[in-house]
Amino acid sequence: MQVFLQTFIGGMSLGAIYALVAMGFSLVYRTMGLVNFAHGSVVMIGAYIASTFYLSVKLPFALAMAVAIGVTGLIGIIIERVLRPLENKDFDLMLIGTIGFGIVLEALAIIIWGATGRAVPSPVPAAPIDLGGLRIRTYDLVVLAIAAAATALLVYFLQRTKRGAAMQAVAMDHQAATAVGIHVGRSNAMAFMIGAGLAALAGGLVGPLLYVSPAMGGLLGIKGFAGAILGGFGSIPGAILGGLGIGVIDSFAAGQFQGYSELVTFLIFTVIIMIRPTGIFGERTVNRA
Amino acid sequence: MTDALEVDGLSVRYGGVTAARDVSFTIQPGQSLGIIGANGAGKTSTLKALMGLVPRTVRSVRFGDQDLTRVPGRDMVRHGIGYVPEGRHVFPGLPVEKNLLLGAYTRRWKGATLDTLDEVYELFPILREMRGRLAGALSGGQQQMLAIGRALMSAPRLMLLDEPSMGLSPKLVSDIVGVLKKLNERGLSMLLVEQNAQLTFEVTTECLVMENGAVAMTGTSESLRQNPQVRKIYLGL
Amino acid sequence: MRIRLGAIAALAVAAWLLPYQLNSYAMHVVNVMLLYAILSVGLGLCMGIAGQINLAQVAFFGVGAYATAVLTVKEGMGFWTAAVLALLATAAIGLVVGTPALRVQSHYLGIVTLGLALAFTNWVTNSTLAGGAEGIPGIPRPTLPGVDLSSDYLFYYVELALFAVTLVFGLFVVHTSLGRRMRAMRDDSLAAGAVGVEVPALRMTAFLLASVYGGVAGVLYSGLIGYVAPETFSIANMFLLLAMVIIGGRQSLVGCVIGAISLALVREVLIDYPTYAQVAYGTVVVLTVVFAPTGLAGLPVRLRGLLHRRTTATASSGLTPFRPYDPAGTTGEPDAPMLAVRDLSMHFRGVKALTEVSLEVPAGQIRGIVGPNGSGKTTLFNVVSGLYRPTAGRVVLDGRDVTAARPFALAHAGIARTFQNLRLFSALSVRDNVLVALDPTRASGTWRYLVLPVGVWRRDRALRREADALLDRFGLAAFADNLPTALPYGIQRRVEIARAMAARPRLLLLDEPAAGLNGDEVRQLCDIVRSIRDFGVTVVVIEHNMGMVMSLCDHVTVFAHGAIIADGPPAEVAISPEVIEAYLGESMAMPAPVASEVQG
Repeated sequence: MQVFLQTFIGGMSLGAIYALVAMGFSLVYRTMGLVNFAHGSVVMIGAYIASTFYLSVKLPFALAMAVAIGVTGLIGIIIERVLRPLENKDFDLMLIGTIGFGIVLEALAIIIWGATGRAVPSPVPAAPIDLGGLRIRTYDLVVLAIAAAATALLVYFLQRTKRGAAMQAVAMDHQAATAVGIHVGRSNAMAFMIGAGLAALAGGLVGPLLYVSPAMGGLLGIKGFAGAILGGFGSIPGAILGGLGIGVIDSFAAGQFQGYSELVTFLIFTVIIMIRPTGIFGERTVNRA
Repeated sequence: MTDALEVDGLSVRYGGVTAARDVSFTIQPGQSLGIIGANGAGKTSTLKALMGLVPRTVRSVRFGDQDLTRVPGRDMVRHGIGYVPEGRHVFPGLPVEKNLLLGAYTRRWKGATLDTLDEVYELFPILREMRGRLAGALSGGQQQMLAIGRALMSAPRLMLLDEPSMGLSPKLVSDIVGVLKKLNERGLSMLLVEQNAQLTFEVTTECLVMENGAVAMTGTSESLRQNPQVRKIYLGL
Repeated sequence: MRIRLGAIAALAVAAWLLPYQLNSYAMHVVNVMLLYAILSVGLGLCMGIAGQINLAQVAFFGVGAYATAVLTVKEGMGFWTAAVLALLATAAIGLVVGTPALRVQSHYLGIVTLGLALAFTNWVTNSTLAGGAEGIPGIPRPTLPGVDLSSDYLFYYVELALFAVTLVFGLFVVHTSLGRRMRAMRDDSLAAGAVGVEVPALRMTAFLLASVYGGVAGVLYSGLIGYVAPETFSIANMFLLLAMVIIGGRQSLVGCVIGAISLALVREVLIDYPTYAQVAYGTVVVLTVVFAPTGLAGLPVRLRGLLHRRTTATASSGLTPFRPYDPAGTTGEPDAPMLAVRDLSMHFRGVKALTEVSLEVPAGQIRGIVGPNGSGKTTLFNVVSGLYRPTAGRVVLDGRDVTAARPFALAHAGIARTFQNLRLFSALSVRDNVLVALDPTRASGTWRYLVLPVGVWRRDRALRREADALLDRFGLAAFADNLPTALPYGIQRRVEIARAMAARPRLLLLDEPAAGLNGDEVRQLCDIVRSIRDFGVTVVVIEHNMGMVMSLCDHVTVFAHGAIIADGPPAEVAISPEVIEAYLGESMAMPAPVASEVQG
């Protein structure tokens, strides 16, 4: 039981990161039907910018994160603007286009920061808290708290603000949204920006947990996307549950199968998707002839 | 309430098909005008094009002293034009009240807007009961009321309605007729596109009859009601 | 044609002479390039031709290479024995990776295949069998009697031969029945199913092809390099492969080859600046999808399209009159029901689109189905043609219960349909559109491609003649080579009917065939439908054009709110109060002087 709980908690903090990545995927997909395969690379860029400003410029951790969020938000806007002609048209092409952006971002990261990665020290004291025999790293708690706060903010924005409501309305029916006076293009750009901001948040937070390297984006992106799909693509609560789920599966797979954890995680993911393609909170869509 | 809508030379083409050809009409302040015709006659295309939701060509659109010829679809509501789309198109995943508030997207969500919300709830008491429900969970009739309510939330001076009777039972259709008449009596101008001719004649004073994308006939609703030609267009006799 | 043959011959000679011009390093580069070309062709078949997103191609490559390595180095097998077993292993893995395609498509399939590719790299990096991160060195060079393959120069010719074989086989697939059905499935899987294409089996075939191509490249790779390690099969290389296919033009195998060769060259030129090369090809991928979605291979067509835009607009002049079918007596007894629907209900999450609908259509009848929008007419078609599984009730075709059968099975059983909003295969020529439906080839007959390619070719030529005859009958001969999207709407409608008839149906479902047609075209349509009936096909037509329904149909069924409200001969139905109410509203039904007018 002790081991089980320890593994579970271990999975939660990375799971929270995946959840943030998954939320970015889902938000963008939900508002504009775009699957952003460059999302993982945006996470990586976010991690680099945050760590650069934290380590080299010596900004406080929180401020470094804010800078990262700002810059990646801009990247998000650029991606959206370039691929706009394909929106709601050719899904597969758009997907490949974002993969192209991912390739570019990764190469740019290598040019700017070099191919070798860097370790980021934890911004909070490293001594773990002992809770009835369970050892919890303080930074894990920080990650969980920030992820929870970000989720709460996002939900508040979507549920309680006019712009948030408008963004959802655009996703549901862009023609009706236009008719009530919403600027669909602007709303989409904002969704993309928020998605990229979430990616930067995830990247900044994951720095002290993993090693920051140009290759980190691929895996984080894929696992975040897997989380989003697991929860039901496009659903915010689904993204949170799915992201945490992938984190926990990962953690158990690492405990049981050591090096083969990724193999096991993706096999489990594949099986789940085949059994339930719409995920946990997914909506059944009806084929229209 | 002193604005007349004048539409001149409106045409819509999708790919190779001309959906509407050179349609012109005027709606006097407080008047309600109907467009009837069989399915595929070009009514909906005309309305969507007027609203700026589909690519169109038009010589001019004037509303009172404003020139709306080049106004994009998202700004029509800012000029006092409300739109109730065909097939209702409520925002299914949002609660009823959020749907209504989004109708007032161009206004502040306080003060006078909340008064409008109350008015809409008075017009459709069922919506007040259902205010917390997701719009997608409403019945067809309730969704139609919601769509009309949403359009009213922008406090429009002219309302465009596209087939509000579609898929509704006769009882619900007569309810909708009652509401539309009431709104018109309060001075709201209306453009009503309908397949259901009877409903249209009851609500409007004048009608266009469309056939194959063009206006085939115009006249007062009274005269068209008696016209055997209308029957022919509808039933293909 | 002669120019093309000449070009191919010149290319073949150039390829043959190439090694004489190269130093040993360049030779090695070319050898690797050819492997990428084979991989790209495989990926192009799967993604470009069959439309199945496959981000595991690099893993197929890896399975082929690693299997060869393990079998030769660890098991001590001969190279060629190991190669055959490795190909079988890759094919098996291909089928496993393809299985999710039966349930999910598009981005879901993308993430699943990408995940499985990652799982593969994860496995080889950790497994002692696969040598872990160090990989497996010491794979023996293959030997051929009389040829010294240890020289890169001679190995080149083995690769070249295999490359030529795989490319020609790929092109053969694309241009015959199998590839045509795959392309149809890519353009519109719903419509493909409705004309009898076995979509699930073809999706698996696509992955099978991709994996075999990957396996061939993998086997050659292990023989060429003599060493396998995980990083060769990384996700970064997967994306490089993807870039090759997209930039070259995924819908053309030759384009894939061009893409592979040019990107490999660019990579070679920038070998000292690999990251700048990466920026370059990433940028080109983005620019390609936005500005030239058909890639390098599509550029000539696009340029030609820009130059000749005007010629397509006047294409309607080529339409010739429909030549009626020879009337044939109805098959079976005249009054036996061809289609019977019993107590059919269809609910979507609480919305009742159809409620206990029952109707029978006798063989040889033209049945009209009318009703206001949203009354359930198209839902009925979708249930009958197998797109929806009904909530309750039965569908019986000519005495056989076909409820909830798969669309392609229903097409084989004799149901053909058209769609309200036209669902032609947009990237297939008009002739190919018809050919897909005409083609009786089943997925189970795919083995012929390996054993009897000549038979496949002959059969295809015979089908082609049949298709041309059918197009000629429908007056569409002049447009056989056009893409449907370039044709006027009315002609597209006619193509869709010709395609439906190509499947030799017993029951034809037409969903608003007159929508968007002008008066003249509607009259021609009526003639066509009557002739189809006289030919022995039962026709059910949903239509809003009441004039057409009145003159064409033997019998009319009226829907409202998901139920049947009237049923009978057109003249009777038109004056029934329920119908007038449904269409015109209540009080219009009161004065009814119309009765005398309908007698005529």
